[in-house]
Amino acid sequence: MELSQIWELVLTAILRGGLYSLMAVGLSLVFGVMNIPNFAHGEFYMLGAYVSYFIFSTFNMGPIAAILAAMVATFVIGAIVEKLFFYPLRMRSKDQWLMNTFLVTLGISIMFQNGARVIWGSTYRGITEYWPGKLALVSEMRIASDRVIGFGIAMVAIAVFWVFLNKTSLGRAIRAVSQDENGALLMGISLNNIHTVTFALSCMLAGLAGASLLAINPAYPIMGVVPLYKSWFVLILVGMGNVGASVFGGLIVGVLETFSYYMFGAGWQDAISLLIIIIILVFKPAGLFARKGVKTVWEQ
Amino acid sequence: MPKFVSDGQLPIFDRLKALGVSPLGAVLLVVLALFPLVVQDEYLLRLLISSMIFGSLAMAFDFTAGFINIVNFGYAAFWGLGAYTSGLLAVKLGLTPWLGIFAGALIAGIVGLGLGILTLRLAGIFASCMAWFVALALMAVASNWVTLTRGNSGLSVPLFFDSPENLPYYYVVFALTIITYAVLTLVTRSRVGLAFKAIGQNLPAAQASGINPTKYRIINFTLSCTLAGLIGGFYAHFVGILGPNVMHTSHTIEVMAIAYVGGRGSIWGGLVSALILIPLMEYLKPFMELRLIMYGALLVFVMLFYPQGLSGIYYGVKEFFRRKIAARGMDAPHHN
Repeated sequence: MELSQIWELVLTAILRGGLYSLMAVGLSLVFGVMNIPNFAHGEFYMLGAYVSYFIFSTFNMGPIAAILAAMVATFVIGAIVEKLFFYPLRMRSKDQWLMNTFLVTLGISIMFQNGARVIWGSTYRGITEYWPGKLALVSEMRIASDRVIGFGIAMVAIAVFWVFLNKTSLGRAIRAVSQDENGALLMGISLNNIHTVTFALSCMLAGLAGASLLAINPAYPIMGVVPLYKSWFVLILVGMGNVGASVFGGLIVGVLETFSYYMFGAGWQDAISLLIIIIILVFKPAGLFARKGVKTVWEQ
Repeated sequence: MPKFVSDGQLPIFDRLKALGVSPLGAVLLVVLALFPLVVQDEYLLRLLISSMIFGSLAMAFDFTAGFINIVNFGYAAFWGLGAYTSGLLAVKLGLTPWLGIFAGALIAGIVGLGLGILTLRLAGIFASCMAWFVALALMAVASNWVTLTRGNSGLSVPLFFDSPENLPYYYVVFALTIITYAVLTLVTRSRVGLAFKAIGQNLPAAQASGINPTKYRIINFTLSCTLAGLIGGFYAHFVGILGPNVMHTSHTIEVMAIAYVGGRGSIWGGLVSALILIPLMEYLKPFMELRLIMYGALLVFVMLFYPQGLSGIYYGVKEFFRRKIAARGMDAPHHN
């Protein structure tokens, strides 16, 4: 392998990993706070892509407007989904909560995927680029500026989100609920509102990922499956409910995937990923960066 | 309370009851057994065959989901693994399908055992995710290992019978359905089954009673995967052509929706709901997307509003009539 080739692979890996990080952070947050394994997470990625596509190419607005619109739309849809499905389920009973919510999110995912197919058809809806041109990062290597800006957006979003979780009172409330629901309730935190906001924020991050990568991944109904699969991969790799570590996990998975693609060719990455997960589960079943006291290891 | 069937009078019902077949279930089975002799419509027979395939899958799925509360989200992969094993043995080694389907069951069971040992000591979501990953990986292998499986162009598999009639297949799958049901019921009614229920209902209490949850979960998971492999073997020699899509997640979701609509923890619910849903969905085939939306909506609806599914309705009605009869018995008291 030549040096420039390695550079190219590493860059692709990191850019791809940024997307997985963004997806995994949202998934991990919902799992940590609400104990919901959200298998509809990829569908918000899909919705984000569709919204930004329509804003950008049908209404001819700028890229920033498109991405913002996608964020707002997925936030609102996420909030509605939470109120419509998980709120009644939580009110009814908490028995077998994890498996029930798992099935509900699956149902939502199927409805969204096929709903999108009914409404928009199975065609790919992509744009050539948000921001024209290429950037030269390393000597003669040039990368489409969309990729770099997309990665930048992902990293800024994660940073902003980190500050939000740690420095604002709402963020602190969310973390309090993830640590101890009853304790948070005693401190005067409204669990219902926190759950809705958390779910909506997580959906918004997925929508942001879908929107900012529209130039690379065109919008189509089942586009969310692969990012969903990869973000679950990240979660198992780093430990479930560990939001901070998901960022590194995303980058690791991006590197793994890009290199296994390069070495073994398309189609075999799934088998390689599985092999790695098996090794992790054998030797470190709680994940690479597992912290003690993550509440979701034994579900009930 | 008046007894319609006393314990001594009709021993056949008691025997059936021991196998988990209620009088109503026996009637259903007799109807299913006689159906092809009365109605000779090949299309309808084929529909019933696929209903029974999915019904058996749903029953075996419910055995895991409804009892130990583990959702096998790669269930179609075990089904497909059985199908591919049996099909490949027949194609490459010329093994007869009648033995091949058991080889398929064995391989699916071994993979299930391995996966169970790996994940079932952890929270249930690990098993679900891993089963899904296994399914995706197996599907990728089936489509990329072209020299073995012929990839996406599909593997032609010899059929069970030379005649193109559906009737013999009908009785084979009927027998398989009964075997599946009988095995699952006998296991759930044994001491092992008691342990399954204890684990599913209250894990800490089960552990406190000296039950090793991991061990029983693995037994359950392996048996469920083995049965999926067996049914998969039948499927391979019934349709005659296998593509990687057999293992697709959408099939898992189909089985799952059928099982949950049937009612978790009932076993028989899966068969009944397959006999209703599969023909219903077949008539909706022109609206392919709507069909899947309906599966999704059914899944959400059942989870949110009626977690007991069809079996819950049945037991509710039964309870209602039992109370009615008991109330009438109070009005006019009588001795037993």
